[in-house]
Formats: sequence, structure tokens, C-alpha cells
Amino acid sequence: MRIVIVGGGVSAVYLANAILQKEPACEVVIVSDESHPPYDRIHLCALVDKSQCVESITLDLNPKVRLELNQTILRIDVSAKRIFSEHAVFSYDKLIIATGSTPKTLFDIQGITNASTFRSERDSDKIAQGIVGKNVVIVGVGPIGLELLDTLMRSPFPKSITLLARKDYLYSQDLSREGVAQLREIFEHDPRIRIWFNDEIVDKRIQEDRITEIQTRHGVIGDPFLIFGVGIDPHITFARDVLECDKGILVNETMRTSDSDIYCVGEAAQLRTSGFIAGRVKECTLQADVAISNMLGLPSKSFTQEVSIDGLKVGSFLFADVTSPTYDPKDTDNETILISHENRIDHYIVNHDLLKRFIGINTNIDLIRLKQLMEINEKIDAAYLYSNRLKSGKGRLVCSCESVYEEELIEIIKLNAVTSFAELKPYSNAGRVCGRCKQDVCSLIAATPVDAAEAARLRSKREDDAKEADLARVRARIEKYNAIHPKNQLSAENLEEAMASFDMSREFNKWVSMITATMHLHPDFEEVVKEGVTKLNKIPIIWLELADCSGNSEGFIKSSHPKIDDLILKYISLDYHELLMAGSGEQSESVLDNIIKYDSGKYVLIVEGAVPLGLDGKFLRIGVKGETGHALLQRVAKNAAAVIAVGSCAYDGGVVAAAPNPTGAVGVAEALGRADIINLPGCPVNPINIVGTLLHFMMFEEFPKLDAKNRPEWAYGFRVHDNCERRGHFDLGEFVLEWGDEGAKKGWCLFQMGCKGPYAQMNCSQVKFNEGTSWPVQVGHGCFACGSGKIAFDQYANHRPLPKENNE
Amino acid sequence: MSNRKIVIDPVTRIEGHLRIEVEVNEENVVTEAWASGQLFRGIEIILKGRDPRDIGLIAQRICGVCTNVHYRASISAVEDAYSITIPHNAEIIRNLVTLALFVQDHIIHYYHLHSLDFVDITSALEADCAKAVKIAQQYHENPYHNSQGHLESVKEKLGSFVKAGRLGLFANGYWGHETYRLTPEENLVHMNHYLEALRIQHDISKAIAIFAGKTPHPQNLVVGGVTSVADMLNPQRLNDFMFIIKEVREFLERAYIPDIKMVVKAYGESIALGEGRGSGNFLCCGGYRLGNNEQLFAGGVITGHDFDAIEPFDPAKITEEASRSWYENNPPSSPYDQESIPFYTDLNEDGTLKSEGKYSWIKAPRYEGKVMEVGPVARMIVGVVKKSKVIKPYMDRFMSDTRMTLIDFSTSIGRNAARAVEAQICCDYLFDFMSNLIENIKYYDETTWTKYVFEELATTARGEGIFEVPRGVLSHFVRIEEAKVANYQVVAPTTWNASPKDATGQRGPYEEALIGIKLSDPSRPLEVLRVVHSFDPCLACAVHVIDTKGRELSRYKLSTVCAV
Repeated sequence: MRIVIVGGGVSAVYLANAILQKEPACEVVIVSDESHPPYDRIHLCALVDKSQCVESITLDLNPKVRLELNQTILRIDVSAKRIFSEHAVFSYDKLIIATGSTPKTLFDIQGITNASTFRSERDSDKIAQGIVGKNVVIVGVGPIGLELLDTLMRSPFPKSITLLARKDYLYSQDLSREGVAQLREIFEHDPRIRIWFNDEIVDKRIQEDRITEIQTRHGVIGDPFLIFGVGIDPHITFARDVLECDKGILVNETMRTSDSDIYCVGEAAQLRTSGFIAGRVKECTLQADVAISNMLGLPSKSFTQEVSIDGLKVGSFLFADVTSPTYDPKDTDNETILISHENRIDHYIVNHDLLKRFIGINTNIDLIRLKQLMEINEKIDAAYLYSNRLKSGKGRLVCSCESVYEEELIEIIKLNAVTSFAELKPYSNAGRVCGRCKQDVCSLIAATPVDAAEAARLRSKREDDAKEADLARVRARIEKYNAIHPKNQLSAENLEEAMASFDMSREFNKWVSMITATMHLHPDFEEVVKEGVTKLNKIPIIWLELADCSGNSEGFIKSSHPKIDDLILKYISLDYHELLMAGSGEQSESVLDNIIKYDSGKYVLIVEGAVPLGLDGKFLRIGVKGETGHALLQRVAKNAAAVIAVGSCAYDGGVVAAAPNPTGAVGVAEALGRADIINLPGCPVNPINIVGTLLHFMMFEEFPKLDAKNRPEWAYGFRVHDNCERRGHFDLGEFVLEWGDEGAKKGWCLFQMGCKGPYAQMNCSQVKFNEGTSWPVQVGHGCFACGSGKIAFDQYANHRPLPKENNE
Repeated sequence: MSNRKIVIDPVTRIEGHLRIEVEVNEENVVTEAWASGQLFRGIEIILKGRDPRDIGLIAQRICGVCTNVHYRASISAVEDAYSITIPHNAEIIRNLVTLALFVQDHIIHYYHLHSLDFVDITSALEADCAKAVKIAQQYHENPYHNSQGHLESVKEKLGSFVKAGRLGLFANGYWGHETYRLTPEENLVHMNHYLEALRIQHDISKAIAIFAGKTPHPQNLVVGGVTSVADMLNPQRLNDFMFIIKEVREFLERAYIPDIKMVVKAYGESIALGEGRGSGNFLCCGGYRLGNNEQLFAGGVITGHDFDAIEPFDPAKITEEASRSWYENNPPSSPYDQESIPFYTDLNEDGTLKSEGKYSWIKAPRYEGKVMEVGPVARMIVGVVKKSKVIKPYMDRFMSDTRMTLIDFSTSIGRNAARAVEAQICCDYLFDFMSNLIENIKYYDETTWTKYVFEELATTARGEGIFEVPRGVLSHFVRIEEAKVANYQVVAPTTWNASPKDATGQRGPYEEALIGIKLSDPSRPLEVLRVVHSFDPCLACAVHVIDTKGRELSRYKLSTVCAV
């Protein structure tokens, strides 16, 4: 199933990761109108003060997800199940809209250089560049405006900052007057900052593309930089024609829209019954879970609002907000309880003795406890609240998703001598769920001193454990080898050597020389392994050609070490291969049937070519009975010991699935709906990678370590660009600029001629082709990342650099 | 009426997905035949709407066996549309790669895809090696790798392979079939060269990679020329290329040609009976300019085996139709104007072809309405008839050695003979092309690319790239509108040879060649394979369609693989 997600934020990423976790066989595509991979908007402030760069706030995305950037969706064709951007069309089986919202402005700021909204990385960048020496004006007092104000307060660059409040409150109408006063005091402590209440822009002067002056009720601000934080509208214009909408896209409690194959979550979705529109990360992820369950047909869930824990992400004070979903701000029975002490304010809103909302400034109250109180609807009394103000040895709540308190976290940090966010992972998930508190957690780790000696000891213990696990793996392999090859016992004495020879990702060159020298392993192993392989491991191999061009077969027979004649006579038993086998028709069919029957669970299936699913698979038929390629694949794959998809077509459809994918072609893994297919993409795959993978299987009866796309790490763990012979010229800025020019004669870098080596995860630059004779970069053409699958044929197979690419 | 149908699917030892059905009478003689392409991919549809400069890398993927020629033809079609003439050096480098591919392709075809139709490997195990050495010497004074010790080791290698019990690729072959004609010793000589040929084709691929980066799917062409300028200027690379070709030439002279002569002799009866003879219409476009402005291949059209009358080739006379193919019916028209919408009428319930209806993804190209055979045999016959200075001397020598006449080449065995002679010609002329290249470089011509400014080129244009390629005439047609590919059409050699019947009932060349073939054992139809393989089928190339109106091929729904 192909699921397309429109949107480029937290919800989109959460959806994509969760879908693949539940159904690894799904094809998930994220279509985003941004030029960066999805990042966490919560940390946009960090981009303004440059404490982070966009890469560091980029969200972790399952690498199986296909990411389409710079694609603004313009319309949906619900009958054909396709969405259209200006340049591309995406078909879907299920569509999820998670486009979030667009920020409002009070007047059109298109083309104006010193005005901005605050919603995207582009905005952050514009603000960071634009505020230097300017009189910054922030319009809007919601969380966005206040967090930005807090960030700018700590920046030396703005000349002055004016916050315009349309009414007389900050944050929310519910914030107490004391609270407003306190915030004002904190902010205006900085002499550059002033907050003007009951104010708004009444006029402005614009010269060319700059606002030169802003006039408000209170005064005139010259040489300004204007930032709108006045609110948001669901970003759904492209869907209005085809889906029922109000403010947002209307959804039922399963997050389904008026079209049964389209779901919508997050700020773009409006619940049909309650009119609720989510605004917090937690609500978005809850909605995402609901949408996924219903879409994939898992146990049904429906979305109900939960108690939310939120606050302001500010550095100058603590600010927490807990709100019950049943809170109605207009209810006249709401009562306020305010307990303040020095710079601390605990503000409770209670309705008939039930707690409805809490807003705390510099509070250390147990927010989780308050949340529980709201959830169980337990009546409370004021005395309880009062006595609680002193409480909480656990400190403030740091991570509301994981319910981790400050003191607990410090304890964890100390106990385990954690010195970085990464090291924290085995002990606590704090900061890793919605990501909002990640910076807090990092600061805590930085601020918590740990015993250096203890930290070092623990670190080395962790390394030892990892090494021990590696050794255990090697020992297990040797035991297995010895069990399979009783005559050819491997010695377990020099395990270090064994590990070095076995672990291909670490000892790549050794592995290559092993292949090139017909599997001459480390001298200690040479004889036994050779014997073992030749005598005992003639595994039956079935090689199916589906929607292909035979390029991988042609490549395979050009294998160098071992050469193809040795390979087919000595090492493998290539029992079925249409290009080479003697028998045809009934004769070849009976060979196939016999292997499936008598070698069930033992044969390795190699598949070349895409699987056309269009026309019920009838674009390809094989055999006397006219079986479709898809049916044949399913039949043969069922009892195979392993399935290896060779070439880019078998990987994800490759060139056959390039737009507009006329035959509905997919890769082997998708056609079989299996997550255990080994992929060896390339167009064609380098035979070294097939032979190496087979030899590994023959020696150890298991396949080499695979990456997230199921490709052997020893072959695909490298970027073409990093190992390119022309890399030195890239670093020196020496580029070929025209075919056959002087640079071309000197072998300069082909990046400007559209070489896609920087985007190619393959070992071509190391092993080359045709017995190391050459490769596309060596002949001056450049790489087009042919092993990336169909994307290579839609985006990389040309002689122009990718648009707007910031390569390293 | 006891005619019955025999279905052969998959036809193995070819590129692609081919089905052959034949109808035989009580005497097991073929009375009717159907050749059907069973895979549709629609590469031309994928090409539509793309930047004309980019299509080479995609068109190339039409086939991984004839891999370089589609790359070249598509880029040449765009160059033709824009009237870009490529530098002489670029043309030579393209020729070096293309002709090396001819040699490689012919060797692989004969030994690895076809020879098992003539060679019984089980019989080779009974060979007397000393005798085999002598027998090989009847066909060449110094046969390739033919010492007694070497043959012993080949026999031993095969013997231990067979003894080990898993026959792999050789399982369930037609071993012991009564139409095998070679002696055990002759079989051993062939098997020896089967294994040697595996190494030789591997070595040629290294030569190709020197200028093309890799093979299959080389990567050295761009609109306007070639990119491998640094390799061209590196004397070591030129030398490496020639050294490999020299070794290949040894193999051709001392193995391939003698082995073919051996088969011609052993299967003399088959030639005399005219087994595999078709309608006798041959088509060549000619091409590959030599230094003296001769063409390597002569062009021309012969009909009905009339070797006294030869017409010049005119691409405008090519039409295509689809009355028996899985596309909507249209009157025959030029490839530029083809409009074909897939119309799949399925197979019968039992999986057989609908003999009276549509039955193949391959369309029916015709020349002046006639079925045409293309390929080495067409080129060699046309070359002799036109008294080509290049081809005729080689053919004369071969014919005098084997006492074959021109009509004898129009048979299954004859096609193989023509192919072997052609491999030798291509290999020898690689040296000519290389010395021309060295001459150019000697006089400081280092140009490999013709400069153009894409934005200044015509936004509407049409062009064609028509080449002789290993299996016959290949034509790519491109129409450009608004600087994008508006229409793309390929007529490949196998489209001609494997074509289905047409509205007037004319059989395609494979089908025609099968009529009258007698099967000794219908359950093991080796005779049919012998005929079909002699054409060197390449199905991935053959299936082509274009829909000029950009309509969707069919409504399809991606299958739901997730559990729902």
C-alpha cells in the first residue's frame, strides 16, 4: 500500500515512522513544500539565535520513507487518487493531510524584506538576518510571540523590541493580572523591550520593499523589523474543492475526511462534532495514532482530547499550563484560586470544585499529579492546593510525554555518568517523544556534573559490552560454521582475526581482496573456507527475470572473481536462469517445480526486474500456463531460504516505475509485502555485490549485516562522493564546466556537470566495474545514483546539478 | 484433424519473455506458428515529457543485452532533430564501443545462448581427447586452447560437475535428442570453447568499459559527443583496448569460425532442406563510416530471395500496424504518427494464445507492406549482392571453405554462419577505427563534443537514429515539442523478426521460418528452439508502444500489500 503524507512537520514524520513500524511493507511518501527535510518547529527560536542549525533540529525519519521536497500541492484528484504539485503527480492508496497551518498577517507582507511571520526555517533565517540594529516589532502575545520575545531578549542584535498587545493580556486571556505583570516585569527588565497594551498598527510607510516606519496608537517606530505572531489558519486551500471543510478539513473521530481514503490530522483538521482543532504536538500525535489504526485496519481507535500539559519555552522563567479538555473559558461558574509567593504564581481555575486549568509561573508543583486530578475528576479543596505549593522534591516536570522530573533526570544522569543526549538513550526516553523538551534535557545534562572517572569507566564498560557482543556474534558464527562443516573446523583461538575477516563493514578492503582473490580469507582460514565452500555449499539458486532488460544477468556473467565459469561449475548451482539454462518451456518449468518441491527452504531466489501490478499483473506472463510475473514470484519466493532483489528495478521498480509508471511496477519487497528481502540495487548491480553477498551466505549461512533499506552494509555503506577519485578536485573547487573542456581532460570534478555522486550510497568508486576497469566518473560522465531506484530516473538521470542544493 | 498445439514458454537462452506456440499435424510437422512477446514495460511512455538531453540514460534501459545501441540511437535521434553533428573523434569512440559490442554479443549468442541446441554436453564426456585434438585441427591449423592436456582438464571439470549430481544450468536439457549431430569429440571441442567464451566475453566487456565506463549500461554519451576524453588521450588506455581486441581476434579466428564450420558440416542436411528459411525479404540500413568514406555495412532491401534485384533502403517506407497485437486497431502508419493504445485481450482460459485474435505485445512493422528479416544474415547477403569491399572478401572466403551458396545462409544454420563472419569483420575493423582515432589525436584534434546552447535550439523538431546493431536494424524516432519529448517510438530488430501476423495474414519471420519443421519428439521440441534461437531474439527491445495523446494505458490500482 502506498501512503502519501502531505506536510513537512512533526505530524508528518510521526505518521511516517509509526506507519512503517506497524506495517513495514507500506510505501510511504512525504510530500513537503519546504526545501529542508522535516524539522521540529518547536525549536525555531534556536534557529533565530543560531544556537542550533536546521540540520540539528531535523527530525529522525525512517530511511524507507521517500521524501519529496519543494512540492507545493495544488490540487487533489480524488477519483484518480492522485495529488498534483506544479511539477509532479503522486498517486496514493491512502492520503494523509498534515499540512498544519499558515501564519496570519495583518497586511500583505509579500515582497517586503523587513517583515516576517514566524513559522518556518526560512522565517527564522529572515528574522536572524533582519533584526540586526533594527527596532523589532512583534505583533501578537500568544506563545509564539512570547517565546520569540524571550529569544530576542537574549540576543544583542535588536536595537529595541516592541511587543504589541491588541488587548490587555499576555499569553492567554486566562493569565492572571499578577501573571501578566510579572511577565511584563521580566521582559521589560531589559531596557530595549517595551510592551504596549491595547495597541495595534494604524499606519505604516513603505518605500519600495521596505517598511520605513510603523505607526501605532501609542507611537511611531522608525527603521523597524516587523514580526507577526497573530495566529494561524489551517493550511488547506488545495483541499477545499474536494473535501468538506469549515475552518479546517472536517474529520470524524477516526480522523477520516469526507473521502474514505483521505485522513487529516493536526492543525489542518477540524473535528466535525466538536469543532476542535489541535494545536499541541501531543494532540497531533494522538490524532496520528488514531488515523493510522483506522487506515491500516488495526484495532479501531477514536480521537478524544486529553488533558494537555504545555507552557512556554523560555529561558528567563518557568511557565507551565495544564488544561482539561472540558474546560470552557466562557463558563460563568469558573472560579480562580491564586497563590503567589515571591516570583512564583500558582493559578488554578476551578469549576464546581473540579480543577479545569492551571497556569504556573516559576512553580514546582507536580504537573502530572494535576493532570491526574483533572482526568479522574476528583473534587479538590483549596487547602490541598495551598499545601501543595511547597511540595515536590522531584522538581519541575521536564518531559511531560515521559513524565520525567528534573530531580529524577539529574539522578539518572549522575548514576549513569551521562555526558551527552545520545548516552542518555538507554536510561530514559526523556526529550525523544515530542522533542519539545530536548533542549531542556540537554541543558540539564550539561549542567549536571558527573564524576569524570566514573563516566570514563562506564563508557569503557559500554564499549567492552559492545565488543563482547561482537565477539559473541563471531563465536556463534564459528560454532555454526563448525557445525555445518564438521571436516573443516575453524579455530576459535584467534577470534580477533576472525572478527576482522568476518566483519565486512569494518574490514571492507579485506573483504574486497577476499573476493578478488577468490575468497582467500586471512591465511589461517583460506584453505578451510575454500574447501568448505566448494564441497558443501552448492546452494541451489533460482534466478527469475521479471519486467527487466537482462542487464543484471549480463552483468553477472561478467563477474570477475570468481569468474562466471568457476562460479557456475564450482561454487553455486545456478539451477534456473532463463537467460542461460539449456531447457525451455516444459523442460525449464519442470526444473523450477522440482527445486521448489525438493529443495524447499534451501534454495536462494534471485530476482531481477520490476513486478508490474497493473492490469492484474498481466503486463508480464511467464510459462506454459501464462502465470503472471507477480504470481510466479509469490510462488517461488514462498519456500526460498532467502530472496535477493538484484538491480534497481527489483528494488523499487526502478526505471520501469519511473513516472508515469505505465504498468504499475513495484519492487520485489513491495510485491511480496515482505520486509526481509535483501536489496542489491544498481542499474545494473555490480556483480561483485551479488557474488559477495552469495559468498557470505555460503560461508556463514547467514546474510551480511543490512542497512535500513535492507542493503548489505559492506557494499552500500559508502557514499560515492566520499571515495571518488575526483574528490580532491571537488575540494579545491576545480570543476569540469563543459564536456571535453580542459578540466575534463585533466579529470576534474563533474559535480557541475550533474554528477550525483553526493547522493549515491554505493561502492562504485571503490570497486569500479568490469574487473576494476572503469566507472562512470572515470569516463568523465558522472554518476546518476542509479542504485537509488526509480528516483534516479525521475530526478538524477540528467547533466544538471540538483536545484538549490547545499552539498557538504 | 488431429493437429495439436505445442506451447513453449519461457523460451530460454534469449533476452526477455518470449512464447512460441506451434501447431503440428499427425507427422509432427509444424503447420502454423505464433510468436508472442509476453512483457510490456512502456519505456517510451516514460520518455515522454522529458528533457530531450536526458533521454539517453532511460532509453538505454530498453535492453541490458544490446545495452549500448539504444543509448546511442536515442542520443543520435536527438542530435538529428537538432542538426548537431558530432566531432569525428566522438563518432569513432562510439563506433569502437558499438562494434566491440557486436563481437561480444555474437560470441555470447552463439556459445551461451544457442550452441546447446547443437552440442550435447553429456556426449562430450565420452570424448577421446587425443582424437578431439586432431578433429579440431581439420577446421584450423592451430585451434584455440586445444592441447590434449587442456581438453582432458575440461573433460574432467565437466565430469566432476556432472558426478556431483547438480547439473545447474544444464539440468533438463535436450541431451540425447536424436537430432544432435556432433560426435563426442566435436561436442568436447565446443564445450571447451563454451567455457573459453565465458572468459572472452568478460574480457571484451573490459575493452568496452575503457571508453564507456561500464557495461552493461555504459555511461559515456551525451548529446553532442562523448565524455571519455581523458581515456581517449591516455595511450595506455588505447593500448589496453587493442590488446584485448587482439586476443579476441585470436578467439574468433581459431575457435568461433572453425566451430561454425564444424556445425555447417555436421548439419549439412538441415541446410540442404532449407530448415528455418523464411520469406527471403531482407532489410539493411547500412552504416558505420570508415576512414576512406566506405561504409562498414552496405544498405539495401532484397525481396523473395531475389539476389539480382536490390532496392535502396528508405526509412519513409516503414509502417507499423497492430491488428494482431495487444493494441487498438489502426491502419498501418509511419512510426512518427503511430498511435497505439494498449488493448489487452488476455490469453485463453488454459493459458494458450488466442490463435485467431490478438496475441502479442510486439507490433508488426512492415516495409512497403512486407515482412522483413533483419540481422547479420541480411547484412551479409546484402553486402555480397552489393559487392561491398568490406563484406564480400570475408563471405567469399567462408563460402569457398564451406561450399555454401548465398541461399544457404537463409536457414537456421546459415544465420549462425553469417553472424560468425560478421563478428570477424567487426573485430578486424576495430583496428581501422582505432588507427583513425590515433591519426586524429596525432594532429592535435582532441575534440569530443560539439558545443550548442540548449536554450537557443529549436523547441519543435523531429529526428531519427537508425543503426545496424547486432540483431539488425534499430530505429529510434523522436518528436520534440516545447523543448520536451512529445512522442517517442522504437522499432528494434526483434520487433521486425519476432513480429506477429498482420491484417493480411502475413506471418512474422520467426513464424514463417518455423513452418514445415518436423519434430522428432514433440515433448522435447528442440527443432523449434534451433530455428527461433538462430534469430538471436531480444524481447526487451522488441515490445514498444507509444500513445501520442498521452492517455493512460489502463486504470490500475496498486495492490494492497499491507494487511487490511
